[in-house]
Amino acid sequence: MGREVLACENLCVGHGGRAIMSDVSFSLEHGRILAVVGPSGCGKSTLMRALSGLDEPVSGRSTLLGQDLAVATAGEREDTLRRLGFLFQGSALFSSLTLRENVELPIREFLSPPRRELRQLAEYKLALVGLSDAMDKLPSEISGGMAKRAALARALALDPEVLFLDEPGAGLDPVTASRMDELILRVREAFGTTIVMVSHEVPSILRTADYCVYLDTDTGRMGAYGPPRDLLTSDAHPRARAFFSQTHRT
Amino acid sequence: MSQPSPSPPRARTEVADDGSVILWVGGAWAAGTPLPEVAFRADRVCVRTDGLGLFDSSLPAWLHAHLRTVRSVDLADLPERLKALIRMAENVALTGTPDEGPGLLENIGSWGVESGSSWGRALEHIGHTALGFLRALVGRARVNWSELTLQMQTAGVDALPIVALLGFLTGLIMAYVGLIQLRQVGATVYVANLVALAMAREMGALMTGVIACGRTSTAFASQLGSMNVSQETDALRALGINPVEFLALPRILAVTLMVPVLSVFATFVGVFGGMLVACAGELSVEQYVTQAILAVSWRSFMAGFVKSIAFGFIAAWAGCYRGSVAKRSALGVGEAATSAAVLGITLIVIADAVFAVLFNLYGV
Ligand SMILES: Nc1ncnc2c1ncn2[C@@H]1O[C@H](COP(=O)(O)OP(=O)(O)O)[C@@H](O)[C@H]1O
Ligand SMILES: [Mg+2]
Repeated sequence: MGREVLACENLCVGHGGRAIMSDVSFSLEHGRILAVVGPSGCGKSTLMRALSGLDEPVSGRSTLLGQDLAVATAGEREDTLRRLGFLFQGSALFSSLTLRENVELPIREFLSPPRRELRQLAEYKLALVGLSDAMDKLPSEISGGMAKRAALARALALDPEVLFLDEPGAGLDPVTASRMDELILRVREAFGTTIVMVSHEVPSILRTADYCVYLDTDTGRMGAYGPPRDLLTSDAHPRARAFFSQTHRT
Repeated sequence: MSQPSPSPPRARTEVADDGSVILWVGGAWAAGTPLPEVAFRADRVCVRTDGLGLFDSSLPAWLHAHLRTVRSVDLADLPERLKALIRMAENVALTGTPDEGPGLLENIGSWGVESGSSWGRALEHIGHTALGFLRALVGRARVNWSELTLQMQTAGVDALPIVALLGFLTGLIMAYVGLIQLRQVGATVYVANLVALAMAREMGALMTGVIACGRTSTAFASQLGSMNVSQETDALRALGINPVEFLALPRILAVTLMVPVLSVFATFVGVFGGMLVACAGELSVEQYVTQAILAVSWRSFMAGFVKSIAFGFIAAWAGCYRGSVAKRSALGVGEAATSAAVLGITLIVIADAVFAVLFNLYGV
């Protein structure tokens, strides 16, 4: 504990050089869970992509796993990405592969274990998210909530050091969603995974997150940063508090 | 998570007095290293640890696979974090809810890269492709080789009928038009030279190249384009896999290998088509074949062959390139397919002209 895994300073993110959210600064230690919250369209997904090194930020600096992303070469970036797990908001499952093959792909590519162990690992990861019965279905044959869970299984495939989860609970019923929360906590506990997640579910954030970043659309800047309970109770950030005291959905 | 293991993973079973099985696990467990094998049959299993070192999820996965069918499992002896990881997997009775779907991607506006100069990006993509081939040569690239045979099948074997038909008709038309002219100077026997040389040097390669653009470039552009739409390429990148290497390399290689083969095939079929016309009129089959063989020198044949390799590469590359820069929408995928065919055909004709000048300069 105490090792800094992810940090950014005055980070400004956007698309095609156009800023959407600026002044994002925080740092996250090993094994901590950070929730990114804010109204729909405020730039949460955009921020996640920049933090993980998938996209370049408009300006500012960020480091991930000790790598300064601004100065990293393409090769270094790729090596860093390999240590991450990313759950995309739209799931992004490989549409021509079954769920099992989706999870097997990264394992096969990077660990190339024997056939039987490959199956074991993939089946286990899918069982973790409760998809044992749908392993041989194609992504087009499952519901959006199931796709989310399959994508989570794929993100967990290589026991990543850092997990980026873009709305893992969206499209899930409350029971399944809270099981996903528990899974996220268990994975963190077992492997010391650092987790950044976008979420709209206040109860889920309170249960899982150590820190919370509130992105404010009105100002286009980071509005607040701190433990979720503080944002919920203190008067320092009225807009963040108002956001927390309502139940927002995308 | 996969540090060098101090001791390999171990597992053994032991039958307890009450008939239940005790499963001992120990050592360091890492995915990708050989895992132990045990076989047992029991209703009740108790898992115990014996010098358990570091482990990643290969251990819970292994346990999950072995304990799935067991009715009663006692995990009391396991470390808390491992216990939790197995319990989470046991409960598979979660239910999925139908929901509003992936919410047609929040991609409004154009894709960031789209704004740059398209020639710059084309050069960059060629650079990435070339680099990918180099990395593949030294075994450093991650390439989906299983795709190679599939693409060779669809781009090559499946194209045989259309290549045969068009090759045959081209030879036939050439012979027909040639005969009309040659009859005026009484040199009808040279129709064999005309057809054979034209097919071998020019038409075989050009025609198969254009067919590849119509069939394969468009297919590649829409495949890669729609993978872009559903963020599948992003998902590959997020796994640390280079999409150009993983997706484009096997496709480009497959087409570059198959187009020359198709081109040679088209040449033979075309010469045969010409023969039907020529021999229906004034030539004997023997005359035609002898003339055709005499007409095509080894150099001419190789000139056509080399061109067909280049055309295959161009057709496949155009498809992969347009697909990878496709706009993220259904419309964008359609546009990518169209522009891939246009780009491919244009580049092939330009390349053909360049080859003509070069061959002329070096007297091939
Ligand atoms: N590919 C893109 N190109 C240009 N603008 C985009 C793109 N994706 C998202 N945006 C814009 O960026 C803003 C933030 O989007 P996003 O990060 O997805 O929001 P959210 O907080 O809901 O995840 C939105 O206004 C959206 O219109
Ligand atoms: Mg989003």
